[in-house]
Amino acid sequence: MFAEAQELTAETVDFEEMWRDPYPLFKRLRANNPVAWVPQANHFMVTRFDDIVHVERNQDTFRSLEPRSLVHKVMGHSFMRKDGDAHLAERTIVSPSFSPAAAKKIWAEKFRLIATDLLDQIEGKGKADLFVDYATPMAARCLCEVTGLTNVDWRDIARWSQAMMDAVQNYAGDAEIARLGREASDGIDAAIDEMIGARRTDEDKSLLAMMAAGGMPLDSVRANLKVIIGGGQNEPRDANAGLIWALLSNPDQLAAVRADDALWMRGFEEYVRWISPIGMYPRTVDKPTELGGVMLQPDDRLFLLVGSANRDEAKFEQADRFDLHREKKQHLAFGSGPHFCAGAWVARMQVANIAVPMLFARLKGLALDEDDPVRCGGWAFRGVLNLPVRWDK
Amino acid sequence: MPKITFITHSGEHRAVDAALGTSVMHAAVDNDVPGMVGECGGSAMCATCHCFVDAQAFPALPPVDENEDAMLEGTASERTAESRLGCQLIITEDLEGLIVQLPDNQI
Repeated sequence: MFAEAQELTAETVDFEEMWRDPYPLFKRLRANNPVAWVPQANHFMVTRFDDIVHVERNQDTFRSLEPRSLVHKVMGHSFMRKDGDAHLAERTIVSPSFSPAAAKKIWAEKFRLIATDLLDQIEGKGKADLFVDYATPMAARCLCEVTGLTNVDWRDIARWSQAMMDAVQNYAGDAEIARLGREASDGIDAAIDEMIGARRTDEDKSLLAMMAAGGMPLDSVRANLKVIIGGGQNEPRDANAGLIWALLSNPDQLAAVRADDALWMRGFEEYVRWISPIGMYPRTVDKPTELGGVMLQPDDRLFLLVGSANRDEAKFEQADRFDLHREKKQHLAFGSGPHFCAGAWVARMQVANIAVPMLFARLKGLALDEDDPVRCGGWAFRGVLNLPVRWDK
Repeated sequence: MPKITFITHSGEHRAVDAALGTSVMHAAVDNDVPGMVGECGGSAMCATCHCFVDAQAFPALPPVDENEDAMLEGTASERTAESRLGCQLIITEDLEGLIVQLPDNQI
């Protein structure tokens, strides 16, 4: 209704093509229709860096709360979709598990043991799909530790995470995808019920321990842990596999990283800028406002396409290139504003300080398997789908 | 409004009028002072509003709490005894004349 009154240029989007490669569409929208009305999705697509930062700096105008969303239906009402003090109260409870100090002093040692064990298992084989055999179990086993769900097999964590992520994107309402999402949610609830009352030591800084000590209501514990499992499995997995792939594809940059340990983190930040594992998150308009020349009304829904913002030519030179030597700059892969990714520090530790450097140190002569090319997919969530490699046995 | 002076890593002095109740981070970002980022908007989550202040010269500054201390472990430039997160320094009348040194890097 409002869209017509303004004579907006409605966009028709080929979602399958967008899944294969969203970047040409993003480029066109940034240039011609930066706050684009997409009737098929009933959302505006916001593609420019500065517009997304503006939205995130104005939480009174653009809210996270959205009971109509699939995330809300699949995972419950988590802090990711709360605003103001309601968000902050729950965020404060979990922050001791997620801080840079926690990443260094609590998690690093546990993560190193996990990476060592995974490398022990594959080193003698001479070939592997590192997406399946390294990045996936690395993320899942780290997540068992950080969440405190040590009663769960890592394969269940990996499967539940994927099932929930598929269910939150199930816009077509596929019954089987919805069923698998519910099964994952029920499995997590049962695992929490088993562990939440467990006797804990003072050294236990897991999320469940912090939530229990902080008196977080059970509904919030359940919803928050589901969001954390979704984001804590798929995203570090994709950053891990993606960074390995980017380095193997750019031997000069790999050589530079091998010569200077400080560059592993630069490589990590550059990878998540270049192919942001979370390419989109939504917001809802709360008050009438203008964005990028478009008038918006309460309850209008926005897709913030950070996967596009992170390639905005107004912000990054040669944005389509993976270049870890580029000027250090803010990117939006972890979002911005109060909902800045809670797991950012733990993910950086897992991937940039531990998993990727340890892999390159252990597997000599590591190279992509040229008979089996790497494939990428996704736009809301994007990453490599396989990572076949060989090395010297 | 108290006047706060930022000194950028290149040595540039920038005096700004800081609104009461906001933070040192906001005072820099809202006045386009280079060298302050504030990615998380003031939630003490990103460690990109790292700055240096002389706590002895300004006893009105709040002490570093446990959360700020944990977050200061993640600063891009090396932490010192004067390190603070700008978002945790709320502007009061007592901060008139505060001098805030900015690091070479926030990211």
